[in-house]
Amino acid sequence: MEINDLDYLTVALPKGKLFSPSAELLAKAGLSAEGLEESSRKLVIVNDRAKVKFIISKTADVPTYVEYGAADIGVIGKDVLMESGQDVYELLDLGFGRCHLMMAVPEAERRPHLEDYAHTRVATKFPRIAERFFGEHGMQMEYIKLNGSIELGPIVGLSESIVDIVETGTTLRENHLVEIVSIMDATARLISNRVSFRMKFERIHRLVEDLQEILRGDNK
Amino acid sequence: MGRRMRTRDEVFGIPYGTRDFLPDEAREKRAIESLLAEGFARWGYDEIVTPAFEFVDTLTLGNGRRIEPYMFKFFDRQNRTLALRHEMTTPIARVVASRMKGAEMPLKLFYLSPVYRYEQAQTGRQCEFYQAGVEFMGSDSEAADAEIVALAATSMKNAGLKNFQICLGQVDFIHGLMQELRLDANAQEAVKAALEAHDLVGLRVLADQVGLVSKGKEALLAVPLLHGGAEIIEKARVMTTNGQSLCALDNLHAIYRLLQAYGAEEYVKFDLGMIRDFGYYTGMVFEAYTPGLGFPLCGGGRYDRLLSDFGSACPATGFALGIERVMLALERENLKPSAPQKDIYISYAASKREDAIRLAEERRMAGKIVELSPSEETRDEATLRQTAKGYRELVYIE
Repeated sequence: MEINDLDYLTVALPKGKLFSPSAELLAKAGLSAEGLEESSRKLVIVNDRAKVKFIISKTADVPTYVEYGAADIGVIGKDVLMESGQDVYELLDLGFGRCHLMMAVPEAERRPHLEDYAHTRVATKFPRIAERFFGEHGMQMEYIKLNGSIELGPIVGLSESIVDIVETGTTLRENHLVEIVSIMDATARLISNRVSFRMKFERIHRLVEDLQEILRGDNK
Repeated sequence: MGRRMRTRDEVFGIPYGTRDFLPDEAREKRAIESLLAEGFARWGYDEIVTPAFEFVDTLTLGNGRRIEPYMFKFFDRQNRTLALRHEMTTPIARVVASRMKGAEMPLKLFYLSPVYRYEQAQTGRQCEFYQAGVEFMGSDSEAADAEIVALAATSMKNAGLKNFQICLGQVDFIHGLMQELRLDANAQEAVKAALEAHDLVGLRVLADQVGLVSKGKEALLAVPLLHGGAEIIEKARVMTTNGQSLCALDNLHAIYRLLQAYGAEEYVKFDLGMIRDFGYYTGMVFEAYTPGLGFPLCGGGRYDRLLSDFGSACPATGFALGIERVMLALERENLKPSAPQKDIYISYAASKREDAIRLAEERRMAGKIVELSPSEETRDEATLRQTAKGYRELVYIE
């Protein structure tokens, strides 16, 4: 069976905090499969009755699966999507997984203006978004790409600041960091491959309408 | 038996974004290109060849500024900046606007060429990739657009593809709609950017920001979803009252009727959200897709402004087809052409070399694929070699 069988819809879901809300929401729209769990050892989970396949992947890989058409659609945070720069259809704001991307510095080293940080080092998991943001402010920065524990950067003298996601702000406070500027707010998005959006338009479009309906109901 | 070539631990690398076509791949590529070239010629198109590199200023005339960061550039001896061509339409427009200025119009040209873009390599597209395409210059008639779409469908069939879909759009539909909604210049740019980036969430945010009345907002948000058969044209017609959008729909309708005459309508769908590149295209646009390939394999449309940028106004329409993507699509659908049968391996005992050469020449004249052993062999050695090389027949001269 081909992964790109025209009768099947292949869905890429990210591991981590977006997995459960994504799976639950899609199930409400009729897309589910037995054994669809984040911890599943199976890489591809198929429901032949509903004609749907699920791929569970690392968060940052979801846009890649979708851009190349290995998955027709996927769920991914806007932050990761923007950072990937991949060419996919961004169909729907799913509303959950809300997070906040910002720049923070050690409390003791706060400077009066954003521009005062020009040409300093910034540790981040999101160098592309950061570069675009600072570029719009006419600033050049030195980007240090880290893959986790970004807040460690200023503590060990690796960087003067960080650009990172915050949810509650606890980690920032514990590490004596303060937010100095907000970069963007992100939520989970439903994305689609460019070709799938055309070749499987009816099915994807129907799904988008169903999801919109469900989301409207949830917000009431 | 000769020794097999020794494999080395260290492989000689090639630069990012390039590839070799080994004999099987090269054979398949040439077979596809020959089929395409024969097809173009049957429709009255003449081949044109232009240099692999030109002045960067020539290549970026018109809308090329956007692509400029993705060009491979270097300097000539006077320090003028040169670049490898990133596509074939601009070089052809240059030739038509200058050296072929007096040519009998309309002009129908085709090409088979490698082009170069410094960007992330994708499925079936390295930094160097091969394109086959046509340009139909000197006609603004819907008949020229219909011919281009029909020829694209025929070309894909000629290449061996069976399962593909062509989506037609018209950039003027959205232009007219944005005018009708009285969007200012900034808002229009933002809407175009969102549509080009396929960002429907961003489009929804924009529609809220610019304070559209509900009916206008509905219309704008419906554009990317206007996808389907010929009924889409009628569905779009009730959404709008402005002349430009209605003309665009009439144009698509006229093209569709001609495509029915070509017998190509079974491949055609409409997608009014598909605009490719606003700065370049001026009318009908289209892309072709095949299941199993996540990227379009063919794209084109009407570009009436490009030649006037070269100082010689002339309407034009055309398309380009990615050769490597066609090869991938054929492979994924198990439609790869089979390699031609090799006919005869000729080998010989001591002092029979001249006889072998004469026989080989004779058989080749008769149209056979013949390989001649470079040195004398025993019959057993010759049999082994014939099998290893896949020849159907062995002629051994002793």
